[in-house]
Amino acid sequence: MTDRARRAHEIDPRAPLAVVATVKNARRLAGVDANAARLGLAPGLMLADAEARQPSLVVCDVEPEAEARLLERVADACARFTPLTALDGRDGLMLDVSGVAHLFGGEEGLVAEVEARLSRQRLTVAPGLADSPRAAWALARFSLRRIAPAGLAGKDFARLYHDLPAAALGLDAETCADMARAGLRRIGDLALRPRAPIAARFGAETIARLDALAGDERGAISPRFPAPDLSVERRFASPIATSEAAFVALAKLADDLALLLERRGKGVRRLELMLFRIDGGARRISVGAGRPLAEAKAMARLFGERLAGGAEEEIDAGFGIDLMRLSCLIAEQVAPAQGEWERLEESAGARSLADLVDRLSARLGTRRVTRLELVAAHLPEQAVAATPAALGETRAAGQGNRHCEEQSDEAIQQRSQRFWIASPIGRAEARAFAVEERPAEGRAMARNDEACDAPTRPLRLFERPEPIETLAEVPDGPPLRFRWRRVLHEVAAIEGPERIAAPWWRRPGAPTRDYFRAEDALGRRFWLYREGLYGRETTQAKWFVHGVFG
Amino acid sequence: MSPGDRAEGVARLRRAVATIEGRREAAPTRAADRLPLTRALDRALGGGLAADGLHEIAPASALDGPAAMGFALALAARFMAVRRRVAIVMAEDFALAEMGALYGPGLAAFGLDLSRLVFVRAPDASALFQAMEDALKSGAPAAVIGEAWRLKSYDLAASRRLLLAARAGGAPALLTAASAYGAADGFSSAAETRFEIAAAPSAHPPSAGGGRGLPGAPAFAVRLVKARIGAGGAGQGADPTRIFRLAWRAEELSFDEPTLSLPVAAAVDDRPRATRA
Repeated sequence: MTDRARRAHEIDPRAPLAVVATVKNARRLAGVDANAARLGLAPGLMLADAEARQPSLVVCDVEPEAEARLLERVADACARFTPLTALDGRDGLMLDVSGVAHLFGGEEGLVAEVEARLSRQRLTVAPGLADSPRAAWALARFSLRRIAPAGLAGKDFARLYHDLPAAALGLDAETCADMARAGLRRIGDLALRPRAPIAARFGAETIARLDALAGDERGAISPRFPAPDLSVERRFASPIATSEAAFVALAKLADDLALLLERRGKGVRRLELMLFRIDGGARRISVGAGRPLAEAKAMARLFGERLAGGAEEEIDAGFGIDLMRLSCLIAEQVAPAQGEWERLEESAGARSLADLVDRLSARLGTRRVTRLELVAAHLPEQAVAATPAALGETRAAGQGNRHCEEQSDEAIQQRSQRFWIASPIGRAEARAFAVEERPAEGRAMARNDEACDAPTRPLRLFERPEPIETLAEVPDGPPLRFRWRRVLHEVAAIEGPERIAAPWWRRPGAPTRDYFRAEDALGRRFWLYREGLYGRETTQAKWFVHGVFG
Repeated sequence: MSPGDRAEGVARLRRAVATIEGRREAAPTRAADRLPLTRALDRALGGGLAADGLHEIAPASALDGPAAMGFALALAARFMAVRRRVAIVMAEDFALAEMGALYGPGLAAFGLDLSRLVFVRAPDASALFQAMEDALKSGAPAAVIGEAWRLKSYDLAASRRLLLAARAGGAPALLTAASAYGAADGFSSAAETRFEIAAAPSAHPPSAGGGRGLPGAPAFAVRLVKARIGAGGAGQGADPTRIFRLAWRAEELSFDEPTLSLPVAAAVDDRPRATRA
């Protein structure tokens, strides 16, 4: 807290500094820096008392949001040490360093590296490294020892932990106060007593904490980001300073990753690039692919498109990037590259389409590149759903389920049943077979309308139906002419009504709509509707244009 | 056996294999790569619409925007029927806001196979042209439709880029200039063909209850403003004064030259001979 305040306000590093917060209407110190602590100030002290004791004390306000942001940034920067980083309360970080210490020359080397990197950003660190998260927490906050040797037990364990205060168990302040009243001030006091009375007096949580401290109970941290399946990284002895150089390095990383993927017979669906800057900044850029990618060039190109698209800012190398990591977040099995001869052309077409969709999605955003799917719903505006085309295969399964629910829900009316399609789309093989039967759907739909082969649904639908003025012979009859967007249209041909009731089983009271297909004297076709049943729901029918036909 | 005989024999065998595999249309030769529309239009276009060209479609008036897009979609549907691939429909955000979003059930009823359509929304015209170019070059789609609203950046160079991309990918680019109504004659671009589309009254089947008829199959009044005939092409070229009347049969995925059933002012040469003069 004080480090952030000192950085934000450019405060002389030698001045004692404290941050204050308002607790129960009293201004109390929430955190003190090393200088202030040396002068005998401690968190919890009233601000007035502290200032009386040390008039030279510099005081800043607590800013929880800014601190949380700083902590998250530091957590991201710490991802260079291990992919599993987690926030620990408001002022701590938990890193799972299982199996990574040797990369930094052992645990001492790792701790020294963490400390050096963070202190270079003017952050004070109190590191602790132990077998279990709880033990590391206790060491970091309550002990001068930093590293507990692995596999600590018995006497060695007791020597290290039993002298720590009971608060090092991380229990709430009330329980700690209770323990102090009972004379149990150190962990040793609790650990050496029979467990049953302790549990009865202070709750089972106390015993659980003791076990967690000893590593008897395997504690897990909840990382900010899940660990990737595969990742490759490159460290640079002299940091990269330009984005061009970063792209060259990215291409090499993609080569490395492609090699790893090839060995496992997998392709990547979601990729993440992390750039660690020498000044402690870290940046994550992730892109998705519509089909499992295994080619290095395609991976590198996706990032190029993403950065060129303008949705993401350019790579800012700052003072230089000294570590780049390319991770594969989601991998999937790829079908072997060699296919059957007759399908060769189609699979090549499907692949080039998937590449195109990925590139456009990366540049414009996934929501802008879509496929439309018909949904069995009565209200015309709900009869269609746009799904990102980049989702590719995974979409078909989930979508099918949703259709089934909707159908059972709304299987009463006949009309929209015809707009029912539930076969997997977008899968390369399925596409090859579907081709034969596909055109039939469009036809079946038109054939239902006997003699008249005019489409029954408009090509374009307005997001908001546009109100029109109409003139009709009788109040509930079809219009003779209407005025839309300030132009008067004479209706030359009209068909209707097609009555569509609002889903009354969900939300009663919505007006019924009577749809008409109208053609004016010049052949323009409109989809009109009258809202409300005349005489029953309303006496003043309102008319709208909902769409236009081609 | 002379070399000529052998070559002919191999060609015949190749054709036979292609027929057996049922992929005759999969790899058409470039010269024959024209899509027939209707008899009268094909004569003017020299055998049909080039499958690797840039074709512009402009509405005749402000209210004919939907008809222009309908015509473009109908062309795409025909291309999709011939080349079994997807079509990519791109539009500028503003065009969609102004003209209404493309509606899935309507597209399906129009004869388009929704599972073979990909939709792209572009934030502005330059992004649209860029996306069209990429899509055409990839060679994946059967056709690329682009609905542009702001045409300021659409000049000779931009259209030339689209044309070259269409050539490279062997797919047609159908550019709908939604805002350029009535301006089809004044355009200057590298496009191969330019159509001006107006809605036309459809054949009205009589309604059962008497009174006004029902709206029939979508009908278009097509004016061919520009048609560049390639070397050796036998087309008549564009005749901007002539209006072709087409009806779209969504069932057959084909255009139809309807016999006029309404007493509207028809193009002179479309009338039956007996009624002339």
